[in-house]
Amino acid sequence: MENNRELPKFAVLQLSGCSGCEVSLLNSDEWIDNVNLVYMPLVVSSNKIPDDVEVLLVSGGVRTDEDIHNLRKGRSRARRLIAVGTCALSGGVAQIRDDHPAREAFLRSSHRLRLPDMLPHAYPLDRFVPIDLYLPGCPPTPELFITALTQAEDAKIASIVCQECGRKKLQDMRPASITGMRSGVTLPDICLINQGYFCVGTSTRGGCGALCTRPGHACVGCRGPANPYLYREPAFVQDNLRKVFRRMTDIPEAEINEALDSPWLSLFLDQFTDYTQDESLPLRTKDKFI
Amino acid sequence: MTTITYPLSRIEGHARVVIDIYDDEVFRADFQAMEMRGFSHYVRGVPAEQITVIVPRICGVCSTAHQVASVKALENLFGVTPPPLAEEIREVLLLGQLIQNQATSLFVFTMPDRVNASSLFEFSESEEGKARQFSLAQMALRIRKIGTDLISLAGGQFIHPIKTTIGGVTSGIPRAKADEMIKTIDELLPVADRLVDTYWELSLEMGDRIGSWGDDEPTYYLASTEADSFHLNSNRLHLMCPRGDVCQTFTPSEFEDYLVVEDSDYSYAGTSSFQGEILRANSLARINLTNSFGTPKADGYLKRFVETFGRPAHAIMFFDLCRGIELVYALEKSRLMLQSDLEHGDTEVGYTPRDGVGYGLVEAPRGPLLHHYEVENGLIKNADFIIPTVHNMLAIRRALMVVAKRYVSTDGINSELGRAVGRVVRAFDPCIACATK
Repeated sequence: MENNRELPKFAVLQLSGCSGCEVSLLNSDEWIDNVNLVYMPLVVSSNKIPDDVEVLLVSGGVRTDEDIHNLRKGRSRARRLIAVGTCALSGGVAQIRDDHPAREAFLRSSHRLRLPDMLPHAYPLDRFVPIDLYLPGCPPTPELFITALTQAEDAKIASIVCQECGRKKLQDMRPASITGMRSGVTLPDICLINQGYFCVGTSTRGGCGALCTRPGHACVGCRGPANPYLYREPAFVQDNLRKVFRRMTDIPEAEINEALDSPWLSLFLDQFTDYTQDESLPLRTKDKFI
Repeated sequence: MTTITYPLSRIEGHARVVIDIYDDEVFRADFQAMEMRGFSHYVRGVPAEQITVIVPRICGVCSTAHQVASVKALENLFGVTPPPLAEEIREVLLLGQLIQNQATSLFVFTMPDRVNASSLFEFSESEEGKARQFSLAQMALRIRKIGTDLISLAGGQFIHPIKTTIGGVTSGIPRAKADEMIKTIDELLPVADRLVDTYWELSLEMGDRIGSWGDDEPTYYLASTEADSFHLNSNRLHLMCPRGDVCQTFTPSEFEDYLVVEDSDYSYAGTSSFQGEILRANSLARINLTNSFGTPKADGYLKRFVETFGRPAHAIMFFDLCRGIELVYALEKSRLMLQSDLEHGDTEVGYTPRDGVGYGLVEAPRGPLLHHYEVENGLIKNADFIIPTVHNMLAIRRALMVVAKRYVSTDGINSELGRAVGRVVRAFDPCIACATK
């Protein structure tokens, strides 16, 4: 933790987000030993990113004109830029779409006197600046932060959440509806899909240690699509999930489709794939993902 | 007219203080939240049972409180009573959050103000000073980590926890893990004690440099903990009147009869008041309302605090000292709770969704947090989040006026003003993400 000037200069820029990524970074003990922290307003009084930053972490989505300004300025002062968290990669859990029932009310409240205006949408960072490394997760675990900071090149990341979950998929336990969470019982060791949960760990990028599914909560896809789906459109990912539920359950097709439309998915997994619809954005190659 | 803008650091989120001066007179001091989260808009239309995963994302610092409040609101709406064991585990979860939050506020956010450093990680040039600050930072981070570990243990995840679900919690806390935690607390409780003592002394040494000493006007205090049983998994709110008596007690569903919540023109965060009167929530409100914690060390600190500063105490810097008392309490209390069996027995019950209106209350580190949902055809029709930081907004504004007037005169603007507004705002430990929900 000594403030050695030889250590690489490290900065953390937070755009519009919840600070969860910063808190996760703070929770990993080792990082502060390995860097010279020059900018991170959450924990350091500093108003300016210095000129010669080695690594700049950026969390949050772009939601105000100040965010655009700060992002461009930060990019010009850093050698490497790592985009961190769901909001930075997709615009955010806070995304509000054109067809949303509350869109009008949102727009009406998005101006104040003498303050930056909210943009009509939340945008991912790579709409404005090039990204060297993407670290998805809501938030990424402390271990993933350390991997991104120290050994991004040869990182071994579990391809899907199931790989790290440890719950067994059973052939003969076929739920007839997605109402597992209402039952009042969560069996340990057995796949949550077998128990009637709408878990999307089968298509979601691993590396999180299956933090949610192991204690008994369905995966909502916060790490985004696994490598095979990275450049695929939303329908492709949805088809794949549909096949999983057809194979493992007796849930009626209509109920599966309704679940695939669920806000859980649209706020997490779908956001990353929706992104493929926007041709103005750069292709995200898997070698840039942790 | 002169306008001075101070961007703020070492608080949660993006905010600034703007002071307008006209003819050497301060006529306005604003605390501005600079972005909007907007969750109250876009959870409309969401299937009710999915909202418990979405709303913790309002804020990564306070996600635990939001998750539990959200689950409690739906339990209230669906008519579900979770088993007692689940309630115990939720209390442990909320204690973990209190430890993490108070340690962060005390040591990461405000301690640097006590030692004239820009951060906990900035060290002085002398070897002796460096060694002292290094050990201070190490200790502070280890204590903070107890909170993080408790949240992981009781909540499954350290941010946006998931174990609390409608009807209970998905699993208990294994004996071996609880014992491990108890061992760590035993080791670090004396360290926390020492740190809190150091913090207390450093704070008192600042004396008149603290701009906020001026704003110790009596005011109203709001908390949902009980005077003789300090539970964060709370069920009703208490209002203490300026002279020190508890003058109102009300349930979550009655909140609109007592609290006036309004939007603001100059900030993305609104304000709340008790029928127009300035409110304060957070640590000082709870300490003013607490007779006894029921744990020895915390009760020792409480006695010392009341004997030294009286009850109710009003000076703003006491918020910081009170966080220290609560940190010690939360360590003692979670240790006690982990000694009982939190592994065996029912942790959840089933439920059947229905439409209606529901309220969920918890005492978050920053004060009472209330989620209020209206569900129609299984979907969220309206969601309202009554936010602890918002209760403090008018009090922050008043304190900033006092500070600004102190440092602005016909001789000019004293350069201490910038540091002073930082100290004032940090005393309230505001959370901007939550406040702009």
